[in-house]
Amino acid sequence: MTGELSQAVEAAQAGDEDAFRLLYRGLQPGLLRYLTVLVGADAEDVASETWLQVARDLPHFTGGEFRAWVVTIGRNRAMDHLRRQRRRPAVSVPVQELAELAGDADTAERAGESLGTEAALAMIANLPPREAEAVLLRAVVGLDAATAGRILGRRAGAVRTAAHRGLRRLALLLDQRAEAATSSGRRAPGPRTGLSPKAPRTESVDG
Amino acid sequence: MILRWLARSGDRAEHERLLDDARGPWAGAPPSGPPDPLAGLLRAAAAPPRPRELAGEEAALAAFRAARQAAAGAPAARPLRRRFTAGVVLWLAGLAATATAGAALAAANLDRTEAPPPPPPASATVAPVPTGVPATPTADRPGGRTPTPTGAPSGAAPAPTSASPVPIEAEPRATAHLGRGNSGRCKAYLSKPERQREKALRTPGFDELVTAAGGAEHVPAYCRQLLAETDPNWLARQEPEPDASTNGTES
Repeated sequence: MTGELSQAVEAAQAGDEDAFRLLYRGLQPGLLRYLTVLVGADAEDVASETWLQVARDLPHFTGGEFRAWVVTIGRNRAMDHLRRQRRRPAVSVPVQELAELAGDADTAERAGESLGTEAALAMIANLPPREAEAVLLRAVVGLDAATAGRILGRRAGAVRTAAHRGLRRLALLLDQRAEAATSSGRRAPGPRTGLSPKAPRTESVDG
Repeated sequence: MILRWLARSGDRAEHERLLDDARGPWAGAPPSGPPDPLAGLLRAAAAPPRPRELAGEEAALAAFRAARQAAAGAPAARPLRRRFTAGVVLWLAGLAATATAGAALAAANLDRTEAPPPPPPASATVAPVPTGVPATPTADRPGGRTPTPTGAPSGAAPAPTSASPVPIEAEPRATAHLGRGNSGRCKAYLSKPERQREKALRTPGFDELVTAAGGAEHVPAYCRQLLAETDPNWLARQEPEPDASTNGTES
């Protein structure tokens, strides 16, 4: 995995477009999902900013864990984005986009027994930020605790603890959901009663 | 106490395993009992990519190309700087040598430091010059430090024509100068959903584009014009959905 990855990175640095495409395809989904939890509906914007910078700074990448490098750029762009947004509170959250998101999640849930990706991300977005980030970097981006820790500026042990707490909380939420589903049947339009929005960004995913 | 600690650490180990396995191939439900909902959640979050998630691929590649071209435009700058720092180091070494050894050695070193940077037109190439063979026109003429390498009207035509049949040369200077770099940005911009475009222009990544277009409101027209010249095929593929100025009231 890492061998292939570093080969692709080298080729892309040498100007190989296909290698860059490979990197994009490998990293973008995880990155986008991570950013979705950080900034909600603007994740795609932030992701494209991220790739703009990755493309520009690729020659300066000097080795190390490439995924961590990209995710760090993405995280910085996301933080900038949130800062800008805070400075401009008038920016409206595109409501119907959120509705779409939630709708997708619902249909995905109804279609199959298992949870859809959007619904899963929405649940993770409900965690406290530290825990959400730890869970996402570990499970969705696929980094180990030490690498995730470097991105988050924390020690590997702290990342493990945060992820562990996050998972415990998620297990609890899943339990509540299951209970709610059995007790109230499926008539209510919003069956995900267990998820109480805590912050604007979680609202944005949850609908 | 110990039991609780054991249970807890077992829990943690189990969680670590779930986190590690989320992206791996589906190992099947645990041998006994119902499938673990937590594992299911993590697997759903890490599910294989959906096409929608890769929608920005072409824009990312366009950015990659643009960055490459911009970098290819400024190859002279970096080696030069390195040579310069090397020169400074040599010169400092020379100073040190003067203090201890004779003046002859110092003179030799000083000689060397003055020689290296044969100041080629750094100013002309540092700018994000887009065309394929940017250095040639100015390099040919050691005295000519014209800041506009490509569009230079005079007899500099022969060399560049071979590499760039693209009609960039006929363009007004500003477009020709920033064209390629911005065409990547334009693609990034135009591939965005309508309702995200305006917001995108307020991000620093697009500053240059907005400047080149002469204001955010001119960007769409500027981009269409630019792409019509640099990459009409791409534009044609993109345009079929005309700027439905519904502003996303439905979808």
